[in-house]
Amino acid sequence: MNALSLVVLAAESAPEPAHTPHTWWPEPYEIIWGGLASLVVFYGLWKFAVPALKKYMAARSGRIADELARSASARVEASAEAERIRAAKGDIVSERARILATADEDAARLLTEGRERIVTEVADLEARAAADLVASRGRVLAEVQADVARLASAATEEVVIRSLDDATRHRLLEDAIATIGGHA
Amino acid sequence: MTSDRIDGYATALIEVARAEGSLDQVEDELYRFARALESSDSLRNTLNDPMIPAAKRQAIVEDLLGAKASPTTTSLVSFVVGAGRAHDLPAIIDRVVNRAATEKDRTVAEVRSAVALTDEQRSRLAAALAAATGKQVEVKVVIDPSIMGGIVAQVGDVVIDGSVRNRLDQLTSRLS
Repeated sequence: MNALSLVVLAAESAPEPAHTPHTWWPEPYEIIWGGLASLVVFYGLWKFAVPALKKYMAARSGRIADELARSASARVEASAEAERIRAAKGDIVSERARILATADEDAARLLTEGRERIVTEVADLEARAAADLVASRGRVLAEVQADVARLASAATEEVVIRSLDDATRHRLLEDAIATIGGHA
Repeated sequence: MTSDRIDGYATALIEVARAEGSLDQVEDELYRFARALESSDSLRNTLNDPMIPAAKRQAIVEDLLGAKASPTTTSLVSFVVGAGRAHDLPAIIDRVVNRAATEKDRTVAEVRSAVALTDEQRSRLAAALAAATGKQVEVKVVIDPSIMGGIVAQVGDVVIDGSVRNRLDQLTSRLS
């Protein structure tokens, strides 16, 4: 049996007064025994509870410190990750800008080359069309001229044949003789 | 045929025509016949065809020339054709004409005309050609309707073309 049990037994073994002398103020022995019991209780608490409480608090403080450390570490890591992400984002932005700039340059170059090629091709087509037109016009004119010449010759020959009677032939003969004689 | 043989036939024809006293006429008629023979493939092939008997070919010649040429000319052509020398007849006749002209110190002038020339026209034409070429010429006229009008005269290598056909060809050439 421990000291606490002895104090409780002593208190229980004391004769119970028939009544208290004062309503609010206990008897002296109650004060003594109560004070002693309180001291014993306080001692027990100090002796056993406080170390355990201290140990618990120390452990809790350690856990909190560890958690704080881990949080700090996590925060650092998160900051690093955030920095890395920001850097990656920056890289992405710059890469995007570079790709867009390259695409713009390529598009502008292709547009310029395309325009130049189209202008050249259009000029070639126009020149070819003009040459074809001139050739066609010349060919058609030559054909028309040949047809006109052929028809005119045929018509002339027909007219001459119809106009050639004996008198005309003799006149032509005389003209020819006169011409030969005139060249002498 | 060799040149000597052509000469032989030409000499024979000249002598016969001269003996008959119609060398100039025979000469002209032979010349026209030679040109007609050159321009007619069917006549040339017929007279050269060995499958046709010589008498038949001679009959053809006599039918062709009987009414248009003197008997001497007809006989001479018939003789050459009968001898199987129709192929060489133009060359023989050309030799006859050239030799006859040479004997008269003249050059043959072949004149193509759409119509026949009178003697007076032939004389004036001969004079005109002589004046133009500086040579005395023997005019041989060939009727050639293809020239349509005027004349084409050839003296040696000189050609004087005053034909309607030539003028029409020049007109066609200018129009083309």
